[in-house]
Amino acid sequence: MLSEELKQKLRTMIADAESPREKAVDVMLEIQERHLWMSDEAMEEASDLLGMSPLELDELATFYDFIYRSPVGNYVIHVCDSAMCWLEGHQRVMDYISIRANVPIGGTSPDGLFTLLPVCCIGYCDRAPAMVINRRVYGKLTPEKIDRILDKLAGENEFHPPE
Amino acid sequence: MPRLVIDDLEIEVPKGTKVIDAAERLGIMIPRFCYHEALGAVGACRMCAVKFIQGPFKGIQMSCMIDAQDGMIVSTTDQEAVDFRKRVIEWLMINHPHDCPVCDEGGQCLLQDETVSSGHARRRYPGKKRTYRNQYLGPFIAHEMNRCIHCYRCSRYYQEFSGYRDLGPLQIGNRLYFGRFKEGRLESPYSGNLVDICPTGVYTDIPARYKVRRWDLQRSPSVCIHCALGCNTIGNAHYRAVMRVEARMNPYVNGYFLCDEGRFGFSYTNGGADHAQRPWTSKIGGADVTVEAALAESSSKLSEIAAVYGPEAIVALGSARNSLETQSMLSRLCRRKGWLGPVWFTDTAVYRKVRSAVERLDSGIAVSMREIEFADFVIIAGADLLNEAPMAAIAVRQASRKNAQIVVIDPRPISLPFEFRHVPAVPGQIERCLGSLVKGSISKEELKGLDSAAKGFCKALPAKFGDKESGISIPELADQLMASRRPVIVCGTGIVSESTPALAADCAQLLRESGKKAGLFYILPGASSFSSALLSGPDAKGFAEILSEIEQGSIKALIAAESDPFRDFPDRERLDKALSQLDLLVAIDYLPTETVKRASVFLPSSTVFEMNSTFVNPEGRVQHAERVHAGGVPIWGAHPPRIVRNFIPGGDHQPAWEILWKISAETSVLESVLTLGELIAAEMPAFEATGKAQYPVNQARIIPEKSEGSFVKPKTRPEQGQKPKGFNLLLTDRIFASREPSVYADTLEGVFPEPALFMHSEDAAAAGLSDGDTVSVGLEPGSIEVKLSVSERMARGVLILPRQKGIEWQRMKDFSAWIALERIRKI
Amino acid sequence: MAQPLVLFKNRHPNRAATLDEYKQSGGYEALQKFVGGKVDPGEVIRLVDESGLRGRGGAGFPAGKKWEAVPKDAPFPRYLVANADEMEPGTFKDRILLHTDPHCIIEGMILAAYAFSATKGFFFVRPSYDSSAVIMERELEVARGAGFLGKNILGSGYSFDIVVHRSGGRYICGEATALLNAIMGKRPNPIKPPPYPTEKGLWDRPTVVNNVETLACVPHILRNGPQWFKDLAITPKGAGTKLFCVSGKVNSPGAEELPMGTPLREIIEKHFGGMIPGSEFKACLPGGASTRFLTRDHYDVPMDFEDLKAIGNRLGTAAIMIFDQKTCMVATAHNLMRFFARESCGWCTPCREGLPYMRELLWLIENGEGKEEYIDTLRSMCKQVWNSYCALAPGAAEPVISLLDFFEDEVREHIRLKGCPFHAKAGN
Ligand SMILES: Cc1cc2nc3c(=O)[nH]c(=O)nc-3n(C[C@H](O)[C@H](O)[C@H](O)COP(=O)(O)O)c2cc1C
Ligand code: SF4
Ligand code: FES
Repeated sequence: MLSEELKQKLRTMIADAESPREKAVDVMLEIQERHLWMSDEAMEEASDLLGMSPLELDELATFYDFIYRSPVGNYVIHVCDSAMCWLEGHQRVMDYISIRANVPIGGTSPDGLFTLLPVCCIGYCDRAPAMVINRRVYGKLTPEKIDRILDKLAGENEFHPPE
Repeated sequence: MPRLVIDDLEIEVPKGTKVIDAAERLGIMIPRFCYHEALGAVGACRMCAVKFIQGPFKGIQMSCMIDAQDGMIVSTTDQEAVDFRKRVIEWLMINHPHDCPVCDEGGQCLLQDETVSSGHARRRYPGKKRTYRNQYLGPFIAHEMNRCIHCYRCSRYYQEFSGYRDLGPLQIGNRLYFGRFKEGRLESPYSGNLVDICPTGVYTDIPARYKVRRWDLQRSPSVCIHCALGCNTIGNAHYRAVMRVEARMNPYVNGYFLCDEGRFGFSYTNGGADHAQRPWTSKIGGADVTVEAALAESSSKLSEIAAVYGPEAIVALGSARNSLETQSMLSRLCRRKGWLGPVWFTDTAVYRKVRSAVERLDSGIAVSMREIEFADFVIIAGADLLNEAPMAAIAVRQASRKNAQIVVIDPRPISLPFEFRHVPAVPGQIERCLGSLVKGSISKEELKGLDSAAKGFCKALPAKFGDKESGISIPELADQLMASRRPVIVCGTGIVSESTPALAADCAQLLRESGKKAGLFYILPGASSFSSALLSGPDAKGFAEILSEIEQGSIKALIAAESDPFRDFPDRERLDKALSQLDLLVAIDYLPTETVKRASVFLPSSTVFEMNSTFVNPEGRVQHAERVHAGGVPIWGAHPPRIVRNFIPGGDHQPAWEILWKISAETSVLESVLTLGELIAAEMPAFEATGKAQYPVNQARIIPEKSEGSFVKPKTRPEQGQKPKGFNLLLTDRIFASREPSVYADTLEGVFPEPALFMHSEDAAAAGLSDGDTVSVGLEPGSIEVKLSVSERMARGVLILPRQKGIEWQRMKDFSAWIALERIRKI
Repeated sequence: MAQPLVLFKNRHPNRAATLDEYKQSGGYEALQKFVGGKVDPGEVIRLVDESGLRGRGGAGFPAGKKWEAVPKDAPFPRYLVANADEMEPGTFKDRILLHTDPHCIIEGMILAAYAFSATKGFFFVRPSYDSSAVIMERELEVARGAGFLGKNILGSGYSFDIVVHRSGGRYICGEATALLNAIMGKRPNPIKPPPYPTEKGLWDRPTVVNNVETLACVPHILRNGPQWFKDLAITPKGAGTKLFCVSGKVNSPGAEELPMGTPLREIIEKHFGGMIPGSEFKACLPGGASTRFLTRDHYDVPMDFEDLKAIGNRLGTAAIMIFDQKTCMVATAHNLMRFFARESCGWCTPCREGLPYMRELLWLIENGEGKEEYIDTLRSMCKQVWNSYCALAPGAAEPVISLLDFFEDEVREHIRLKGCPFHAKAGN
């Protein structure tokens, strides 16, 4: 399922490392960049490139928060629920996004655009409540700001359908 | 050696002993889950907490993580420590399903024991229990993750100890899960150890599951007879059936573990699931008779034949699955009665290799499996450990984990659970490769220091081995061998040339004389091949000669004691004809073999679980297996019959030695022989030294004194003579599928590998064949059809054919065959 | 706004300082002098040791001592890891430092590496700091271009390079030994020393793990001398400045560089705009989620390693999370415990099972289903999780211990009322 071009890129990445396994997370993040999540086939192909067994790679994939082992939307919204964001109303943010983007908490919207998940402190406590969407962080969330972000992402997506 | 005080008791222990083990030596069993002697300490479960009162550590500490040191005062009963351990149990139990009544681990569960002993009886945790989904792990191991206490023993055993990579920890925090990437059969042929190593009931033994509670089992120490290694087991029987086999710790042999063939291949003793696969009753001419009738018939027929044709018209066959008792009796009878034999092997070449191996072992050089673990360089010559002696592969893995270099010289597509350098030499080249490797490791100074015999031997070793094919540099490996301190040579006796075992011994001896602590370990072909070699003289007849004599009519009777030439002999047609010429064929066995089916008289013998018996493993270790149960047709599958009878159905079997003695009608045999121990000692001088009066003997090693100056001049040239054209077809063994008791064990059916013929990928390409093709291999008179499996990791010019069910290799006519390319066709 | 002192002197709104800006402020002078001048690495260690620089990652271990622990005859390669995992709730100083002056970190890494002859550096960064990782990768290339990094640095014959290692995201990855496993592509479970990473770390080679802020102090110490660094602190035992990140109920949350030992009151009132209108200071966590609450009684405590230790607390990461009188402390403790329970690596029993147990009890108390006996259970478990494998679980117990020490009444009130007196809506 991985394109030959992507595989070549991954091989180059791996070749740079002290030992192939070192690049396991990078390889998975790179695959997710194109395919959104790590399907079983992707795991098998990636582990092959890394010289690991699929189980060994899965030991890592299932450990980490930002590696997805089940299908996710084009945008994975991680809303921080740790102390400061919690204090500043992370629940309201979750609820608002859930209704606004028609995405169940912990699930994916029917149009496949958004997945909504809680996440541990993302290090933007000074800008609580905060969230991270596909490696970008948004802080000091208000309903208006959330509207703008979601609209923009939905708009972007029309021009860049994911692979 | 540090001295410390634990619970007011003082003890001195070797440096490096963990406090938990020091306590155990005092008889104080500190609770533990993650700690296991074979796996080492990782400090995960925190169950072994004790209080350190004085010394370099203070307060609550994990006793598995701390080495005993001088001046330590440790309390295991300190209130704080006890409270903490209680709490650990409480934590571990918050998610446990408390399903002991339906759990097969019940009664042998470390978690159960430690929960009860901690006094934890009430679950106070108010939350919900976490639950998991289980996975299908194959026909041997059931998975019940809810019982897991996350001690990591399974994944540490599976990945670190045994070297497989398809079971491990997934997820994080309290969602931690031990399983596979996807459901499916565990790849490791050592998976059964998960059952033993798991301290609770996550992994349970499927063949035994839901059948019996631990405390209802009859259990005895036993020995595995599937391959030659003699791993120690515990047999568990119930209602006349062996239910399961567990590993029994023997630090010198198998450690704590077993392979799956040995663990799960027991069902032959029950006659399979329907019990119908075992010949339970005596027979004359195929009709059921009483055991007395069969005994009387055989003994009268034997005396008749002896009277008419002379005793040498009777021949006795034994095998490498006979107990030492049976072998000694056979040997005694042949001598006393003048019968021919005993013949132990149908393949005379194998017999000669085993004999030369056993002759060449001496106590200074023969290592145990345990000692292999401490080797820093292992040369495996002509042996496929995983398939021929599975637990030996695990021993070599332990050496590999300690960074030993492993070199395998073998034509087969060897796969082993560790990294190794593979020189895919054809059988005729193994000696050259081994010789040049060893020669290259002897430095000039070392050479100078050798005595003349050793020097001569070393000089005669081939200097060079063409290593272009393997791409492996023998000189480079020789340098590493030179630097090693404790090299071990593991030598096979299957596909190698007849002179190889002796050469391996000489090589080990040379390494030893050049200042290393070198060791030697032979892979032998059966549970008692070592003792058969000790029991036979150099002039013993081979099976082929015996066959000719039958054909010529000079042999009239054959006694097959747990021996089945139909399985082992490569020319079935000839065998068929010959045996039908006999006046008498007496078969004594517990397996439903072809020979049993054709016997004029059949007598059922006892399996290893049904008698006391002795076996000698390849390092000369005498091991005693105790009777587990009386045997008989199991009453499994239905409620025990309510008919009252005064006999046990299927209870006619008796040890083969006893049957032999009875049919020999040789009262005089026991005149001068009082006990079994004396019988064995009389036949086998090496046994005498172990103290014959003390039968049973267990764990003594009987390695004969090495004859002096035994360096043999090595062959310097490749095997002489015209090299036949075509491919050398090699018959080999395969785990689960080849060895005799295993092929009759239906518990292994789920894992029988598909029959295959292995060929080098380039050879195949040249022949226009590809992987997965079904090919027909033309033999005289017929041909065999088999799936082709190609590999780059094997020798060219050979065909590897594992002997297994589903392949009629007995059409080959000879043990080794050369097959012309044209005779391999794709169909 | 406080006066930037050292680390933040090149702070610009919304952008990182360039190499030139950094150089203008004296950047890479220390590198020129020590590496370029081939000064004995032992001298680097000595100066840093003398400066009293203590680790900024939470444990406060003296940096010079750690480098010194690498045996002189240890094998090569040797590794340096900059720990930019920063997943301790409330902590974001490293991110701001990275976005402020990346070259200060790079120079610090090179100097630290030089001190024990490391050959390769890893910059370990969490996924939500992807922008920081991108900046770092860009600036590393700039530094290489300028000859500060890579082969034969400044013609000294010393070679050292740095790669950015992205994490998959888990709190435990910040723990030094777990971090090493993470880099090696193994499951990030901690590994209990001995052997210490300084002897056997990455691939069994000597490895030093330092916090980003710790490393960033190094160039300044070497340029200005250890005494100068010591004098930056207010408290006599302290040394240097400290990046304080303050969040919660203050008017201007963020990170500021202040002298080590600046009193809590001053930090809140002078440097972070004071409490927001309508809020009164009730409590704070002084150094991230794994420290104990400070109450009004501690309002004037100097924020320094030793002074906090004296009152049974820890400076941790100096991430101050401020709670006001409207905040329910039980709900807060529950939220923190939920974090720790979720992030437990699952290696050892006290943490894997004990933290969810405590979380459950706190949740029941918060929801009016609490029982008196839960207080005792919580207390004893807080003590018992100290016997866990690594420092995560003991850290997790800290807020709960102080909840019971300082706010026991509030806890009992929940039990008595069968509900939360604050009606604060706590998520689960
Ligand atoms: C659970 C846990 C999480 C940690 N997370 C971090 C972290 O995110 N960043 C950090 O620098 N140190 C963290 N540490 C501390 C590190 O283990 C280590 O002490 C530190 O990186 C060493 O750097 P320093 O000596 O410069 O402080 C953590 C420790 C623990 C126990
Ligand atoms: S305390 Fe134990 S389970 Fe928790 S993070 Fe540390 S090692 Fe993992
Ligand atoms: S046995 Fe010591 S921690 Fe598990």
